[in-house]
Amino acid sequence: MTDIISVKNLIKQYGNFSAVNDISFSVKEGEIFGILGPNGAGKTTTLEIMETLKPLTSGEVLIDNIDVTKHPWDVKRRIGVQLQSTAFYPEVKLTELLDMFAAMYDVTIDPMEMLREVELEDKANSYVKQLSGGQQQRFSIASTLINQPKVIFLDEPTTGLDPQARIHLWEMVRKINKAGVTIVLTTHYMDEAEQLCDRLAIMDHGKILKLGTPKTFIKDLLDAGFKKEVKPEPANLEDVFLNLTGRQLREG
Amino acid sequence: MKKIYRRPHQIRAFFVMMKYFFLAQTRNPATFAFGFLFPVVFISIFGLIGNSTAPLTIGFPATSNLNNPIITAIKQQSIVKTQVAPETQLEKDMKKGNLSGIISVKQTSQNPPRYQVNVITSTASPQTAADITSLVNLIVDQENLRAAGVTDPTITIKKQQLAGRQIRYIDFALPGQMGFALLSTAIFGTVFGLIYLKKALVLKRMFATPTRAITILLAQGGSRLIMAVLQVLLILILGIVAFKFYLPHGWITFVELLILSIIALVAFLGFGYFMAGLVNDENAAGPMVNLITLPQFLLSGTFFPITDLPNWLQPIANFLPLSFFNAAVRKITTEGGDFTQTIPLMIGLIIWGAVMYILAAKTFKWE
Repeated sequence: MTDIISVKNLIKQYGNFSAVNDISFSVKEGEIFGILGPNGAGKTTTLEIMETLKPLTSGEVLIDNIDVTKHPWDVKRRIGVQLQSTAFYPEVKLTELLDMFAAMYDVTIDPMEMLREVELEDKANSYVKQLSGGQQQRFSIASTLINQPKVIFLDEPTTGLDPQARIHLWEMVRKINKAGVTIVLTTHYMDEAEQLCDRLAIMDHGKILKLGTPKTFIKDLLDAGFKKEVKPEPANLEDVFLNLTGRQLREG
Repeated sequence: MKKIYRRPHQIRAFFVMMKYFFLAQTRNPATFAFGFLFPVVFISIFGLIGNSTAPLTIGFPATSNLNNPIITAIKQQSIVKTQVAPETQLEKDMKKGNLSGIISVKQTSQNPPRYQVNVITSTASPQTAADITSLVNLIVDQENLRAAGVTDPTITIKKQQLAGRQIRYIDFALPGQMGFALLSTAIFGTVFGLIYLKKALVLKRMFATPTRAITILLAQGGSRLIMAVLQVLLILILGIVAFKFYLPHGWITFVELLILSIIALVAFLGFGYFMAGLVNDENAAGPMVNLITLPQFLLSGTFFPITDLPNWLQPIANFLPLSFFNAAVRKITTEGGDFTQTIPLMIGLIIWGAVMYILAAKTFKWE
């Protein structure tokens, strides 16, 4: 598989503070790649540099072999972006928002078809603020697909969602990925990283601490002699919760 | 680098964004209240103020002789409103400022008829006191001459009146309301609108598309321009239809007013962009916006003429951006002037606008 994203020696400084401190990694075409880390680790900054939304201090970022610093407009055409908050114009309806973004990407789309993809066709005439958290994130994801991007970036897509909405969103992300879209997402949930991502970068204090698949991470740790004090339970509280309340998606 | 594509058509993005930004404004209750309801209420109030015109109110005490040539002559004056009431009541009214003067007439002899006129005026208003005194003097002199049988007085005054149009308050206030609406839409709408879009990451999401930031800002401005033109149309049509707002050259003046409004809005938008770019927080923007708009609403001849201000303040007031617009509008309405006379004023406004756009371009912070 070829690299669709290549990040080399990326540094982002604000004054004396290094938000991103010399990181390198690559993402292969067709992957779901996760950047895992606590708040303030530099995940969003890294993402926004790849999304052409922030200038880098030094280093090189290539998306589909295009340099984000030299040709940001060509990069923008090839990527889809979901930001941390909902980030849509208030008082504009869902179909209208999609129509507006289509004009901004200079493409032609069928807004209803796009809404159907993310199961929001019955909300076509709603405003974003009238949607539930999960619906807002799904709409946000629909908006990333308008220009048929090669890569989409999702910044903490499941933060604040209830367990059912998270599982539903994971399924949607997998579906989009199966259709051939490379996905880069940030998260601070371990289970999300473990279940959803093919490969992970664990970040903290602007540095990548470890890069690889979730399985190798765990294997490496066990090989190094790590032993958990408590025996892993055959089920956890989330299993109990989902068993009681069902996996069915809830929304108003 | 391989695979270099064209940028998207900014024109299409511009028009589609402008359409939805405009729709969003029409769906916002604040836009409706400030942009349409307020001007209608203001214009209606000012229109009604303009209809009561009686600069002098004179009271005759009930004890006074009312059937004499002096009182009859005073009653015939078009600029005077008269009333008859008990003297104590009249004195109270005058102390409250509701009455300009009290005039009583006593007949001192029957044949030939002789009269004594008493004039009471208030020290609170020397101007009206002088007006009433000279009015009474004039009437008394005329009656004296007539009683003396003088038909050819030594000195005569030849009065000549130029055909002037009566300027009502609505004719003064309506241009001010146009300026008020334009400045509000351009500054309040742009500043609070853009700050919200910045904070809610709406702008950032848009910057992730291949549409240029300047296209987004222009579409914002374009949508406000359409809104402002509608507001001005509403104010003008309401003023013309309901309150007979005077347009010296009919529809030509109407079109000229729209042109002036568009130029003014574009200039005022510069102030909006400058302030919206400077701060990222509504709480910081509030005082700044008020600092820019409030003095202009008060000093730029929106509600009362700049000539009513203290002398030292007038030169400053005349250089405010809103003053240029208000003066230009009055030049072609109340003053009945030619459109070319507005050019120096509009140049003043355009310079203000240009300075603001330059400052905005240098200081604008996107996040």
